[in-house]
Amino acid sequence: MSTEVQPLVNAEATPKKKSSSGSLRILQYIGFRLVLLFLTVVVGVYLTILIANMGGFVDQIMRGQIRERITLQVQMNRTYDTLTPEARSKLTSEMIAVEEDRLGLNQPFAIRSFRYLKNALTLDLGRSLNMTSDTGSKQVRLIILERLPPTLVLFGASNLLLFFSSLYIALALSRKYGSFMDKLLIGLSPLSSVPAWFYGIFLILIFAAMLRWLPFGGMVDAPPPETTIGYILSLLKHMILPVFAWMLSSIFLNIYGWRTFFLIYSSEDYVEMAKMKGVTDRELERKYILRPTLPNIITAFAFVLIGLWGGAIITETVFNWPGLGQAYYHAVGLYDTPVVVGITVIYAYLYALTFFFLDFIYALVDPRVKVGSSGN
Amino acid sequence: MKKTILVLALLVIAAMALAACQPAASEPEVVVETVVVEGETKTETIVETVVVEGETKTETIIETVVVEVTPEPIVRSGGWLDRVVFSADGSTDSAVARLIAGDIDVYAQSSSNGEAYKTAVDAGLSTVQVATSYNDLTFNTYGPVFTESTGGLNPFAVREVREAMNWLLDRDYIAQEIMAGLARPKWFSLISIFPDYANNAAKAKQLESQYPYDPEKANTVISAQMEALGATKNADGLWEYNGEPVTIILLIRTEDERRQIGDYVANQLESIGFTTDRQYKTSSEASVLWVRGNVADGLWHLYTGGWIGNVISRDDAGDFQFFLSNKSAYGFTTLWQNYEVPPEVDEVYEALANSTFTTVAERSELMAKAMEYGLYWSNRIWLVDRAGFMPYSPNVSVSSDLAAGLTGTLLPYTLRFVDHEGGEMKFVQADMFVEPWNPQAGSNWFYDATPQRMTADAGVLYDPFTGLTLPQRVDHAELVAEEGLPIGVTYDWVSLEFAPEIVVPDDAWSDWDAVNQVFITAGERFTETTTAKIKSTVYYEEDMFSKMTWHDGSPMSAADFVMAMIMYFDQGKADSPMYDEAQAGTVESRLSALKGIRIVSEDPLVIETYTDGYVLDAELSISTWWPNYGYGDGAWHMMAIGNKAELSGELAYSADKADLGEVEQTSFIAGPSLEILKAKLDEAIAENFIPFAPTMGAFVTADDAAARYANLKDWYQVNGHFWVGVGPYFLEKVFPIEKTLVLTRYQNYPDPANKWSVFSEPRIAAAEVDGAARVTIGAEATFDVYVTFKDEAYPASDISTVKYLLFDATGTFAGEGLAELAEDGHYVVTLTAEQTGALTAGSNKLEVVVVSKVVSIPTFTSFEFVTSE
Repeated sequence: MSTEVQPLVNAEATPKKKSSSGSLRILQYIGFRLVLLFLTVVVGVYLTILIANMGGFVDQIMRGQIRERITLQVQMNRTYDTLTPEARSKLTSEMIAVEEDRLGLNQPFAIRSFRYLKNALTLDLGRSLNMTSDTGSKQVRLIILERLPPTLVLFGASNLLLFFSSLYIALALSRKYGSFMDKLLIGLSPLSSVPAWFYGIFLILIFAAMLRWLPFGGMVDAPPPETTIGYILSLLKHMILPVFAWMLSSIFLNIYGWRTFFLIYSSEDYVEMAKMKGVTDRELERKYILRPTLPNIITAFAFVLIGLWGGAIITETVFNWPGLGQAYYHAVGLYDTPVVVGITVIYAYLYALTFFFLDFIYALVDPRVKVGSSGN
Repeated sequence: MKKTILVLALLVIAAMALAACQPAASEPEVVVETVVVEGETKTETIVETVVVEGETKTETIIETVVVEVTPEPIVRSGGWLDRVVFSADGSTDSAVARLIAGDIDVYAQSSSNGEAYKTAVDAGLSTVQVATSYNDLTFNTYGPVFTESTGGLNPFAVREVREAMNWLLDRDYIAQEIMAGLARPKWFSLISIFPDYANNAAKAKQLESQYPYDPEKANTVISAQMEALGATKNADGLWEYNGEPVTIILLIRTEDERRQIGDYVANQLESIGFTTDRQYKTSSEASVLWVRGNVADGLWHLYTGGWIGNVISRDDAGDFQFFLSNKSAYGFTTLWQNYEVPPEVDEVYEALANSTFTTVAERSELMAKAMEYGLYWSNRIWLVDRAGFMPYSPNVSVSSDLAAGLTGTLLPYTLRFVDHEGGEMKFVQADMFVEPWNPQAGSNWFYDATPQRMTADAGVLYDPFTGLTLPQRVDHAELVAEEGLPIGVTYDWVSLEFAPEIVVPDDAWSDWDAVNQVFITAGERFTETTTAKIKSTVYYEEDMFSKMTWHDGSPMSAADFVMAMIMYFDQGKADSPMYDEAQAGTVESRLSALKGIRIVSEDPLVIETYTDGYVLDAELSISTWWPNYGYGDGAWHMMAIGNKAELSGELAYSADKADLGEVEQTSFIAGPSLEILKAKLDEAIAENFIPFAPTMGAFVTADDAAARYANLKDWYQVNGHFWVGVGPYFLEKVFPIEKTLVLTRYQNYPDPANKWSVFSEPRIAAAEVDGAARVTIGAEATFDVYVTFKDEAYPASDISTVKYLLFDATGTFAGEGLAELAEDGHYVVTLTAEQTGALTAGSNKLEVVVVSKVVSIPTFTSFEFVTSE
């Protein structure tokens, strides 16, 4: 990264340049960053295409699968019981040819790979090979968009709750270093080595199977309530266990991390000085600890937001949650390159944009940072 | 003092209260009551009960009256349930836990998860076992030396080695230990609960006894062949060839218990001196090698195969060619191409695949030969028929299919709660909405087909226990077959006749002119008078059109049938405006057999079909032309708006055509299709559109069309989709993202709810043999065979055959025959003096095979007796 944190004293001492040269410098910097990030996206997406197709090997797999599937399909279909073996063979060959053509297997992989890349970069997500959206569409855009709201609702709630609660608790603990609560929560941090889905299974066993207080899984009751209020309440009820599992799996480690981070800042000389001056705890936290750590917090928050994209495959599976994670998993299993690439390219663009905007946000929230500084 | 008085007063009151509660001490209590005993006849017994003191009771019966029982009439029509809520849960473990907790009622997903099965059974859940798949060990038969790459030795190129593998592997171990009892040992491609196995059960049993688990015999045979190939055993007892260990490469599938099977096979091979290379692969990884690869490359020797068998098939004779001959549909693979089949074997496989025999007896002989050849050549050996289980609440009752389990064809008509009518049932599957729903070329996934079927009806339904068809909307049918065809009939709703020649009438519809939208008659299609191998005539119920309505209220009519006939051809015709390349091959195949269709009467509906395509059962050779388009029922007006969308290029019925045109595949229930279909409905209303008007115009009036479109419009406004069926339930609501749908009982469905209740459970016979434990050699001996169902005699009219097989003291087959009927449920096996004279002294076994007509699972039982001089 070419952003750089400069000592405040240097920033104040640097003579102001003319505004026009400053704008040019910023524009140059923006251009350079955009090109660099775009290239990164191109490389990342093309690698995804190559990996998703195992360098073209998937073509062989797919051809084999098509032959097997259609041969059995014709063999087992009662409609074809009255056909002679020759007629069945002919029908099978024709169906295989149509299917291979449909999937574009008659075109060399190299050519297809660049078509995938072009479509991905222009966000023309196109059509899936085999997957359909829940409503029956093969448009990758719809496959993603239909699964996005459930993912955002569940993981948005989980991650935002996790982020802000761990931040709040960590800050409080950093001010009460060595207290019983501090020791307790830090002692619990190894619990974060267990993934959310594992907690999920136990929570389901306890609260759904044994106590029967909460549902086993799914997004809402079946059938879903007819009123909006009823639907929201049902949704919230179904979110309790997955959110709880998600929180359990991460909160202690998050608290530990943030607490340690805040402790480092809490022991800075200027904080000690402020304490001696009699600055209140609240003001101390807000102005002397939180403010200088804001770029880190924003960075972490940005990644939390990006992390929502994609969901969590196993957790969604355990809780039978119709999210993007499951869609991605199915796409990989079906070698459905357009869907895999579609989800990946949006992820890549989100990352690139986040990196891009973070530079500016840093400059906004931290006067020590200047966009496009040469670093002198 | 006051407190003491108060306490005493309370004690006195308490004592009085207790005394008041006590029954009178000496007066005996006399109770006269009427006890009603319910059964097939109801009796009322008036009983005088005298209770003297304590628990002493004396009961005197005053009078017993037998009361005539009037069965409570079933007034409910259509489905037993008010609503069925379908939803998805991919985990069997989770579903079993939910069933135990009462969260759901049915989990209609077959699973072979042994632990989940045990949990379900222990918790008192009901389960049904279903056929799911069957496993084999596929051999690479190339060689004996791989020429293309490694130059290694391939012992499985040798017939004797392959055959010996039958003795090396313990099928019982695989079924009981690896599959946790959810499997049956298997020696043939025939599935052991399907009719073809039952019909050949005696031969099967005889051959199975020749290939028991006998590792020593296997080792002896294989060692001899290995030495003949030039292999030697080294100091460690391992086989070597040209100084290199003989390494057997196993492609072991990892998705299910085939992983353990592969390990077991490898262990057994190692136990007789082979080195193994276990390659664990998923379906797609393995497919590249065994389907797409070249067997000469020597990249594998054994593959743990698996095949789906979840539909009751009545004719599996073609499987021998499919699995064992280079003429298989899998002939595109080098694996099958390498199957060298001697001409006499090929002839048998060919005859069975093409049904070129003329009698059932001839077919049985061919089957017996094919079964022998299959084991002798052993290009692959069969291991187990796998069974899955479907768990459901004990409070649920449903007719289960031997193959499809809870999701058989009778599901819509028999699914109910045990203790009450009506109610809402939660029916869970592993997935939902896998592909778009449209009757012409939509989803045929099991998960979608099950709820679809509940909204549909049918001309005929499949018998869940035999795979034969039974009449639903059809009243009766006639089949005329060309003389010499090996067709038989079981049920009396079909009459079967044979004729020397069946001439197709010139006016029968024989093909479709997609440009002029009229049928081409047989007179136009064939230059000379043509004949067909069979003629089926189907007679629908006389009142069908007056009582059957589509779910939007439109009365069913002959036009619905004609529309289905047209769509049977149209999309496969290159000059059709709706042409779909993906349909072309299918339509061409259909036309290769079909000679003509004739609507003899519109109401009541009578349809004649002339065709060269037939199967061995008359019931299954009847063409009903019910308006099911292959992927669901469809009313003509519903299909009309789909056709309009297809014609405008905005939607396409098939996935292939949708991909080609980069448009949405038609879905009548959800997604972007709905807006397009809605617009097409408005257009149809404005134009009063009659699809294929030159033909359909004769069956639909303008008023009919207007009324139907108005009904469909109302339907869409209320239910939000265009899926209009005619079955006992209608699709009320669809929630695609939540993977849920709601089916509601259709009030106007005409049949009584209990119409199919008789198929509540398969009548699998129980058999027992009794007779003398000691038989004198050379003397006649008789044995009694008792065949029952639930301790009641099994009616002789429902029994196909009771056969016996005789095995001598060495386990060698010593004869067979038919048991004679003595009375219902009682048969007698008579061993002649000649038969017992051929036995030596020792312990012999009499194996009895009972084959029922009403359920395709044969029953085996055996009896051991000692022979002496």
